[in-house]
Amino acid sequence: MAVCIAVIAKENYPLYIRSVPSQNELKFHYTVHTSLDVVEEKVSAVGKSIGDQRELYLGLLYPTEDYKVYGYVTNSKVKFVIVVDSSNTSLRDNEIRSMFRKLHNSFTDVMCNPFYNPGDPIQSKAFNGIVSGMMVQTG
Amino acid sequence: MSVPDYMQCAEDHQTVLVVVQPVGIVPEDQFFKIYKRIASVNQVNIRDSQRLLYIRYRHHYLPENNEWGDFQTHRKVVGLVCITACDSAKDWPQTAERFHGQKEVYSSTLYDSRLLVFGLQGEIAEQQRTDVAFYPSFQDCSDVERRIEDFVESIFIVLESKRLDRATDKSGDKIQLLCVPFEKKDFVGLDTDSRHYKKRCQGRMRKHVGDLCLQAGMLQDALVHYHMAVELLRGVNDFLWLGAALEGLCSASVIFHYPGGTAGKTTARKPSISQPADAGKRHRPGALTAGGISADTSTEIGRAKNCLSPEDIIEKYKEAISYYGKYKNAGVIELEACVKAVRVLAIQKRAREASEFLQNAVYINLGQLSEEEKIQRYSILSELYELIGFHRKSAFFKRVAAMQCVAPTIPEPGWRACYKLLLETLPGYSLSLDPKDFSIGTHRGWAAVQMRLLHELVYASRRMGNPGLSVRHLSFLLQTMLDFLSDQEKKEVTQSLENYTSKCPGGMEVITLSDGLKLPPVPFTKLPIVRSVKLLNLPASLRPHKVKGLPGQNVSTASPFIYSPIIMHNRGEERCKKIDFQWVQGDVCEVQLMVYNPMPFELRVENMGLLTSGVEFESLPAALSLPAESGLYPVTLVGVPRTAGNITVNGYHTSVFGVSSDCLLEGLPSVKTSGCLVEVIPSLPRLQLSTSLPRSAHTNQPMSKEQLSSSVSIQLFNGEKQQVTITLENIGTEDIESLELTSKTVNTKDKVFGKFLSWDLEEALRHLPLKPGQTVTLTISIKVKLDFSGQENLLQDLNDDGISVTGLPISSPLRQVLKPRAETKAVSSESGKAEYSHVKTLEAVLNFKYSGGAGKMEGYYRELSLGVHVDIEPSVFFTRVSALPATSTRQCHLLLDIFNPTEHELTVSAKNSKDLVLHPSECQRMAIQVEKFDFESLPQLDQETTRLSSPKQLEEERQQAQGCQINSKLDICWSIISLQSSREASVEGALNQLVLEHMQLAPLQWDVLVNGKPCDCDVVVDCKVGDAVTLEVKLTNLSKSPVGPLSLSVMPYQDYQNGVQNYDLDEAVTFIGSNTFFIDTVKPKESSVCEGAMLLLYTGDFYLNMKVQDDSARRELPLAWFTLPGVHIRAQDTPLQAGA
Repeated sequence: MAVCIAVIAKENYPLYIRSVPSQNELKFHYTVHTSLDVVEEKVSAVGKSIGDQRELYLGLLYPTEDYKVYGYVTNSKVKFVIVVDSSNTSLRDNEIRSMFRKLHNSFTDVMCNPFYNPGDPIQSKAFNGIVSGMMVQTG
Repeated sequence: MSVPDYMQCAEDHQTVLVVVQPVGIVPEDQFFKIYKRIASVNQVNIRDSQRLLYIRYRHHYLPENNEWGDFQTHRKVVGLVCITACDSAKDWPQTAERFHGQKEVYSSTLYDSRLLVFGLQGEIAEQQRTDVAFYPSFQDCSDVERRIEDFVESIFIVLESKRLDRATDKSGDKIQLLCVPFEKKDFVGLDTDSRHYKKRCQGRMRKHVGDLCLQAGMLQDALVHYHMAVELLRGVNDFLWLGAALEGLCSASVIFHYPGGTAGKTTARKPSISQPADAGKRHRPGALTAGGISADTSTEIGRAKNCLSPEDIIEKYKEAISYYGKYKNAGVIELEACVKAVRVLAIQKRAREASEFLQNAVYINLGQLSEEEKIQRYSILSELYELIGFHRKSAFFKRVAAMQCVAPTIPEPGWRACYKLLLETLPGYSLSLDPKDFSIGTHRGWAAVQMRLLHELVYASRRMGNPGLSVRHLSFLLQTMLDFLSDQEKKEVTQSLENYTSKCPGGMEVITLSDGLKLPPVPFTKLPIVRSVKLLNLPASLRPHKVKGLPGQNVSTASPFIYSPIIMHNRGEERCKKIDFQWVQGDVCEVQLMVYNPMPFELRVENMGLLTSGVEFESLPAALSLPAESGLYPVTLVGVPRTAGNITVNGYHTSVFGVSSDCLLEGLPSVKTSGCLVEVIPSLPRLQLSTSLPRSAHTNQPMSKEQLSSSVSIQLFNGEKQQVTITLENIGTEDIESLELTSKTVNTKDKVFGKFLSWDLEEALRHLPLKPGQTVTLTISIKVKLDFSGQENLLQDLNDDGISVTGLPISSPLRQVLKPRAETKAVSSESGKAEYSHVKTLEAVLNFKYSGGAGKMEGYYRELSLGVHVDIEPSVFFTRVSALPATSTRQCHLLLDIFNPTEHELTVSAKNSKDLVLHPSECQRMAIQVEKFDFESLPQLDQETTRLSSPKQLEEERQQAQGCQINSKLDICWSIISLQSSREASVEGALNQLVLEHMQLAPLQWDVLVNGKPCDCDVVVDCKVGDAVTLEVKLTNLSKSPVGPLSLSVMPYQDYQNGVQNYDLDEAVTFIGSNTFFIDTVKPKESSVCEGAMLLLYTGDFYLNMKVQDDSARRELPLAWFTLPGVHIRAQDTPLQAGA
């Protein structure tokens, strides 16, 4: 159902990005990259008002003609972005949330790997598997 | 209406539109000069009414857009200012005609117009016309601004009258239906009498009045009218106009809330001198009452309420836009409304909502847009995103706009514009064109999109026809994105870079673009990657040394303390740390870099050299080729300092793919270096050394190879002497003014006898100063004398024949030649050969210290060291040494077992003996008769050394001296005929204490005189039978202690030469007196004499055996001390003798 899943480091460079192979990959790079504007805007707005009790899920970042872009920011400011097809109307907000949660858990596993150097691109097979699972799960 | 005005903002609703246009031929620059002056009059304070009128000037306006003037009055062109240049009166009618023609275009909406004529003089200019102003020239027109103000005032009067006219329309009158161009046909045939229609007319008119009020500076009235219009229009579902009414409401509220304007810097609106909100209040008295369709006082009271809150403004904008969205033809209106709303949101800092508006604006379809319009649209979207802080989105649209500039559909692609736009997108992708920003820490930004952008920049700059720029961008791409490029991409990028540089080589200069943007140079610090920079010391032979004891050395001024545990750890200083060796002016210096090639192919680095400062330095560039993905690879860069002083190595320069780069170390934190500052001392001469001996591959163990400039080796037999000629050549440029030579023996395990190396420097020194190119020779003599006897196993091997040292007197001299032992020892000699033919080595270092030139003045010298390696083969072995007393007490026999370990026939000769020929591996005994030595007479060691050395050392010292003396007496020589070498051999090492004792003269010296004739062995005393033979025995005590008392007994005997000795000689010999003597104690240095006599009764040979007995019996004196010479007396018949 997801057409692109990206993990972006605190410093706003991609740690992991994967999109459906049929499409132009660079397009998704641009989509995710520009979505960071909204993420930053949302995070800064939330940070001011509530403080630490922040909802990690940012919701729909912005809709484009073909895609919907959802965002999620961990407490360490690592961003997850999921791009789904706009035509997929059956997808509920809750499902997106659970996808993010799964992604976050798997990401935590990656970080727990003592051989993983924080800041390096993610090459974990397990993580890749989870992402693949989300991408093929066509609704 | 198809062309949106993206620059519009909410406060534009309160402006009146004036078009300024040239008529006829007007120079463009002059036109815009005047236009600017006119445009500066953008707000006019109207006399008498205290109201402000805002004017918006356009020099270009589509009449098509003018048709929407009823819908929103600020779109209506109400004023026209024409500018014309007219040289002669003749042209005037034509000009006037044109002016009228221009007026016709906007005639439907125009309130007033003006014509500014420049250059016309004469009668026509004299005529007084309100709508025409004459100026003699473009320069001479000081009252343009005042004219325009007058003009604006006249517009205001019309506007105000219109406002009043419309506002006072009685509700009973038939109200004209205002409509937008595309609606006109819809209302044909509609029932104009219906209530619905009337309401629609009313509502639209209300809205129109609201617009007019807003323009006329009556903000509050406008708000009231808009509110009423919204009510009316909502009732009749007239959505387009409802949207317009809502937008009007929003605009008025925005103007009220944000008097500073929402356009930001894009339109240079003067900070309002008087606040528009105030202006609204100022006009209040009587204004509303004068106008007013049902002038409702309640609205007046709640005037603050009429104004929308900031949140409501956005709500209403949303609503308005949604209504506009219902009409396809109102796309431009919708788009403009979106833009206006975004500007308001930007002021409110509500970026997310603004982005939603913008998102909506993106999808508004305006039908077929020209490419130029598309570019404009994307650019403005980008600007708006920038305004709300969405830099990435802004960059995205700017890039789209840039791509649009060069879309394939455009016949003449605007590569310059494209490039310019692309450059503007850089900050959005957190990309700067300064490679320094990327040198530290992790990569910043989104590499994939950055790379794409850089590729596009490269392409655009190439199409622009600026290969220099392409090279710079491509270099930047390669340098900063290297980690992200795939192998294939790396190949492609470098290939294209090489293509570009073949046309335009890349350099280190800053490229300045026409708009002032500077592109800093991109040094390839990653091609290759340098890991460490190490300045190398000069080779040992060229290293300068400071003469010790000169002032200014070892004086550290940094601290008053001699030692401090506190070391100032300053990371920054580490690089500037001075290295504790020196380079020499004029000599090649080396710097070692550890580099590696990150590319998947071979990297050719050309012209790699050093960048230095401080000293004039001639860098000698190197070219290298690094294999693909090489590991660390050492590269040595060399150069010659041309002056003296402190030199700092700042970095290196390379030329890779045709791009030359200067890589400074300060910008490379990953490079390890142990300091880059080194002192260059003034030039010193250079000496080259050659010897007559072959060079050796041996290294002297304790000294590392590095320290020796060269080394020679030689093979000698023990005891051999060799002359070595050393040739010294000055190969430098300075004169050699001083030369010193010292030597040091390195291997001290074996005891060396005599002087190993000796030379005479005087001859060489006479040639100084040595000019460059000159040579001097020096002779060194090498003499080896080692002790080979210490090899225990060998001695045992050879000693098992049972011969032992004996102290017993043997009356006859022994010169015994040992039976050939080759048969018995063959086996063991073969197996033992390896052991006893063991080669010893002796190593020494000759140090030449020399100096000259400017360096000598500074107190520096150079050292050249020559290692001398000598392999010493054993020549003769003294496997065993023993001494036997000779017949004379003053002599003894030295027995030497001589072994020939060489493979040659050896001849050994001693002073008093025959030559002895030894075959290889043969052992023979040699006996030498020697005088005994008086060791006491050896020079005593001086007190100084005696005190300083230990007893053991003293003993050794003494033994050596003794050995020396013995050696010189013996003078044993060997020679190998086949090798034609003949040298002396030494017994020193073979001597042991026992042998020495034998060879020493006894401290008690016995002198026996028979008939007054001194008697010693081999001396035969003749006497006559019957004569009394006097016997005198004299004892001289040379020892340090008194001796005695002693008793001496004399026993005569006859030796039959068959082993039988007959002591029973009572009948033949008779003593006169006693045959026993008593000798009293003899003090040191004294002597005692005892005399006796005997009578020999028969002829024959008689011997006297004298025995001494120590009566004191307190201490045992060595037996040898009491050995008296034997006395041989031959008694003869007197008559016979007399007869003969």
